[in-house]
Parts: sequence; structure tokens; C-alpha cells
Amino acid sequence: MPANEMTVETLLRAHAPVAPDLLRERVLALEPVRRSSARRFTLVAVGAAAVAAVGVALVHGFVSSGKQPVAQPTTPVTARGAVSSPLVPAPKNFDQAASAKAQVVTGSSGRLQHTDASLELQVGNDKDLANATTRATRVATSLGGYAQSVHYASHGTSILDLRIPAENVQAAIARLSALGTLVSQKISITDLQHRLTTQSDEIAQLRRRIAALQTALKDPSLPDAQRVLLQIKLAESRRALSQRLHARQGTVKAGTMAHVALQIGTKKSIVAPPHRGRIGRMLHSAVGFLALEGIVVLFALIVASPVALVAFLIWLWRRRSVDRLLAA
Amino acid sequence: MNAVTSSLEAPRLAGRPGFADVVAEQLDAVYRYLVYLTGDRAAAEDLTAETFEKAFRSWRRFDPRRGSPRTWLCRIARSVAVDWFRAETRRRRREETYSRDQQVTHELGDGLPAELEAALRELSPAEREVVALRVLLELDGPSAARVLGISQTACSTRLSRALRRLEERMTDAGE
Repeated sequence: MPANEMTVETLLRAHAPVAPDLLRERVLALEPVRRSSARRFTLVAVGAAAVAAVGVALVHGFVSSGKQPVAQPTTPVTARGAVSSPLVPAPKNFDQAASAKAQVVTGSSGRLQHTDASLELQVGNDKDLANATTRATRVATSLGGYAQSVHYASHGTSILDLRIPAENVQAAIARLSALGTLVSQKISITDLQHRLTTQSDEIAQLRRRIAALQTALKDPSLPDAQRVLLQIKLAESRRALSQRLHARQGTVKAGTMAHVALQIGTKKSIVAPPHRGRIGRMLHSAVGFLALEGIVVLFALIVASPVALVAFLIWLWRRRSVDRLLAA
Repeated sequence: MNAVTSSLEAPRLAGRPGFADVVAEQLDAVYRYLVYLTGDRAAAEDLTAETFEKAFRSWRRFDPRRGSPRTWLCRIARSVAVDWFRAETRRRRREETYSRDQQVTHELGDGLPAELEAALRELSPAEREVVALRVLLELDGPSAARVLGISQTACSTRLSRALRRLEERMTDAGE
């Protein structure tokens, strides 16, 4: 460093300003000002939000765990329409399902009902699988029904779609469930009586209308324009009648033939759902809820990101402005 | 025992000075820095007090491993001074005429030769700032650069330029 620079530096050091005593006393007498800094507030707010999120998730999990789980794959019975008969409760878990005897649902006597059943059976090995599949087809045939489709895989499961006369569905389910260990069953009964009655009423009404139109058309004094109009109406009514008859035929068919979906699998192919205790269910539910909260937070961040970007640009601009300020 | 001593001396950690000690050791340094930066002794006093008040509040967050107390205090002082400069700029814009008439000139140094005082006045605040940090406070290059938020090279360049200008002015005055 040159000698003249040393001189300047020495002078500057020698004549450096000294803080007045009053200032020293003022600083030493400082009292901490209790101001909630933004950083502290942010930390507290974020911490509180995180604790609240976890707490809510745990409460949600706790509340949810109190309910009996909807057994998988043993989905509870669903029913549509007016079902007067009691439905089969689904086994609560795999073990119960395995030991359960098939409880057969029967619809109300005298009403047209469609039964839709789904059974899942477990057999010991592939040989048993083949036997059970064959016997299931025979059961359907022996009860007056048929196998609409059969999908059989030697290493896995076989899936049968059976049609069984409604009056024999009770016997069919009982016999089918004896082919192996019952894992799950789902039975849905839809009442078709109301639909059938409505369709019959509409058919009767259409028939009366057609008869009236035919009578009117026989009148020779009918003007041509009026005749054409009545002929059009007659054609429409006949078409509507045809549709209604077809629909009623379908309704009757649905009521007379039950649909039974049968899935048979070996022990390897059917994996029991994990049995969770209450704490396990609670944690599982809480984790699910936390994931949902995470999605909400992520969404909020995405929404807030433009604001954060603007804030960053302002910060950058202020930082640049300091240089200009001090260079002036 | 005053408030600073009573509040912050007790939980002294190993290797970490007490706040009262820091005040005693660094008050002059901070004050000098702010006098040079602002060019206004009265403002420098207020800003020094404000700096230590801020430092007092955030003393628990001070980590001696990340820098010396002097560097840490200078960074706080700079932030406080920048706010003051902004406020001053706004104020001058509002009262430009009045301000021009009422400008008060303080001495930057105690008994500093007039020509050096004048030369210092001609420097920009940024140049006076680097002189204060490197010469008066004797901060090393990296620490000064950290306070200023610039690279070491830029810091050295700014210091050289400032000292050269002071030298030139002193030489002109001597002739």
C-alpha cells in the first residue's frame, strides 16, 4: 500500500468519531421491546397449522375407525326398489366370510323381483378349481338355468356368469356356495313389480286408445285431413305399444331369471384383505386425510405462487435500489 | 445492573459473548460506521440506538460461527441506515426547497483535517461506507463484502477508488 494512502488511513483512524456517553447510556438502558416479529409469527402459524392438520386427521381417523369397515371384497348388499325381504349382511372379515354358510335371500312371494348375486369362493388348488367350475355349470343347468359365460384360467380364477330361474336362486346360491369356502357374497334384489304394473297400465291404455282410433277411422264421414291425423296417431300408438310390450317382456324376463356372478379362486389368487385393528384403521384413515390436506395445501400454493413471484420481484427491486440509493 | 446486562448476560453460552460486552466493544464501531454512511451525527446516534435495539431483540439468533459480532451488527446497522436513506429521500422530495436551505453539516471525524473532511463529504455514501468498514472498523475483505452484499472484488475496487479519490483531493489541497 502506498505511503500516502497510509497517511489518509492513519488520519481517518486517528480522528475517528467516538460515540457520545449519552448514546452509550441510551443503548445500555435498552429494554427488550416485545414485538411479534413476522418470522416468529410465521413459524408459530405454520407450526400451529401443521399440528392442527395432523390433529384433524387423527380425529378423523379416530372417528372413522369406530365404524365397521366395509369389508373388501365383501361389499354389503345393495338393493334398489321396494325390497321387503331381509338382506344378507356381508361377513365382516375374511375369516368370518370363510366360515360363513351362505345365507340365501328370498324376495317377497307374489312380487316380481330381480335377484343379482355375486359369490366369491376359494378352493384349495387348481384341480379343485377345475372341478368347482364344472360343478357350478352343472348346478345352473340342473336348476333350469344356464351358464351365460365361463372364463377359466388354470392358474388363477374362474369367473362364471350364470342365469338361474328366480324360483331356484335360493337353492342355487346354497349349492354354489358349497363348492368351496365362501369368501364374499353380494346379493342385490330389485323390485320390479311397480315397473311391471306401470308398464301393464300403459299397455292397457295404449290398447284402449288404439281401439278408439280404429273406431273413429271407420266413420266414413271423417274429413280426409282428420283421417290422416288419426292415422298418424294410430301408427304412433301402435309403435308405442310395441315398445311397451317389449319392455314388459324384458321386465318379466329379468324377474324370472336371476343373475349369479360366481368367482372361484385358489388360495394363491385370493388374497385376504389386511385385517387392521382400530389403531391401524385410525392411522390408515388419518394418512388418507393428511394426503387430502396435502392436496389442498398444494393447490393453495399453486394459487399463491403468482403473489409470491411478485413479492420476490419487489424484494429484488428493493435490493437493487439500495445500491442506487447509496451511490448517489 | 442495567436492562441489557440483566437480560442477556445470564444465559451466556460457551464461546459466545454477552450482549453487554458486545455493546461495550462495538458501540463505537457501529457509531463510526453510521456516521460515515449517513454523514449525519445526529442521525447516526439514533440509528445506532435503533441498531442495538434490533440486535438486542434478535440476539438469541446470533451465531458466532457465522461471523463476528461486529459484522453482524454492521449488517443490522446497514439495514437500519438503508431505511433511513429511503425515508430521507422521500422527505427531501417533499420538502426539497426547505431541505436545501436548512441542510446542517456535521463533522465526520473528531478533529479531522478540513481538507480530508471535505474530501470525505465528496464521496458517495457507498464509498464512505466501504472506507468506514475497511479502515475504521478494520473488517477484513470477506466480512466487509458480506456486510455490503457484494463480491470481495467489488468491495476492493470500491475501497481503492474511494481512497484514490481521497488522496487526490488531499494532494490538490496540499498543492
